[in-house]
Amino acid sequence: MNSATNMYSVVLFHSTNYAIWASNILKRNSVEHKMIPVPRHLSSDCGYCVRFLSKDRDIVYDLLMNNGVLFDKIEEI
Amino acid sequence: MRNYLSTRWGIIFTGAVIGVIAVTLQKLGNPANMGICVACFERDMAGSLGLHRAEVVQYMRPEIAGLVLGSFLVALVKKEYQPRGGSSTIIRFFLGVFAMIGALVFLGCPWRALLRFSGGDWNAIAGLLGLAIGIAIGVAFLKNGYNLGRSYKLKKSAGWVFPAFMAALVIMVALNFRVSETGPLFFSEKGPGSQHAPLIISIIAGIIIGILAQRSRFCTMGSIRDIILAKDFHLASGVIALVISAFVFNFLYGQFKPGFEGQPIAHTAHIWNFAGMVLAGLAFALAGGCPGRQLILSGEGDSDAAVFVMGMIVGAGISHNFMLASSPAGVGAFGPAAVAIGLIFCLIIGFTMREKVS
Repeated sequence: MNSATNMYSVVLFHSTNYAIWASNILKRNSVEHKMIPVPRHLSSDCGYCVRFLSKDRDIVYDLLMNNGVLFDKIEEI
Repeated sequence: MRNYLSTRWGIIFTGAVIGVIAVTLQKLGNPANMGICVACFERDMAGSLGLHRAEVVQYMRPEIAGLVLGSFLVALVKKEYQPRGGSSTIIRFFLGVFAMIGALVFLGCPWRALLRFSGGDWNAIAGLLGLAIGIAIGVAFLKNGYNLGRSYKLKKSAGWVFPAFMAALVIMVALNFRVSETGPLFFSEKGPGSQHAPLIISIIAGIIIGILAQRSRFCTMGSIRDIILAKDFHLASGVIALVISAFVFNFLYGQFKPGFEGQPIAHTAHIWNFAGMVLAGLAFALAGGCPGRQLILSGEGDSDAAVFVMGMIVGAGISHNFMLASSPAGVGAFGPAAVAIGLIFCLIIGFTMREKVS
């Protein structure tokens, strides 16, 4: 289980529209991901986050930063 | 430590317990198909405080305070108490006002819509359809960049205010506090407001539901929104569990009475059952949670949610004072006009509070 190949990470946002925006950008760039409700152990909000394969962390980070998508943090789940 | 209540079985357990408790509260004295109704109970509280003078719906419902205090206590223990706020406060207040206006045209919040359905009141079907449509409209706004802006961390005391207010109300009702012989607090002598389970049972029931809902993030609005937006059925499984458990216990208690006519605290104006809940569903979606969820968030320290709740309480006063609320006799004189105004308000908010999403 020390390989990050099959592990997931999530990007957390301050509001839902940023999660939708991020999902749209990842879709356009063919990055495998899914928009999901924020896992309960990470936050008590009703909101959404974007889940992706941990191996794509750098790609996701760069895409979000380059497109100006504000996010709270990225966490492994 | 693993939070069992956040799992699929946890949310199913929560929904089932809410259903059982609600139906049992009806058996113990709460109004029919109204074991727990956040909108109706906040309306009764508004009446008890004297914000409206509809004499049949005035009681300081302890379940509401129990929900907030249960959430508050478990959030403190589990270190999830996070005082926060500052996200479009006045908009959230008026979303609460119009959510209540819509809910009182239908006569119930989403929880009561489910309980009415579970009790055989088929008028609830139009309301539930309206709720889903309203939420779907809200989701369409979310997809197009709608948001009320982020909230910010606040000082610890900011999160204490609302739970303290609720605790004060419980103490007042426990002491049978009255300014004069006639009130306030006002207490109905007949009608739904006069029907209630024993005080201590109501408080404990509210606290149990508050704890479970905080740990599981149970939300009826969220269940429909998650299906539409993320094809996620987690919350929906809890809602279905509520309906099934409430149906089973209604049946066991002899409270299941199927039909459209003569249903308790309900009317048969299907169009307005539908439209009222379209308005309520849209307002819930724009505010980010159903009335029950807003109470739970208030307990966690979310003052934006608390403002929404206060909007609902004030909205109840407006509903009855301005003849907007329905009754078993039918829709209130100005209810349809208020629903139209509410929908226009929500659409304006939905179209104007937008940011880039593509």
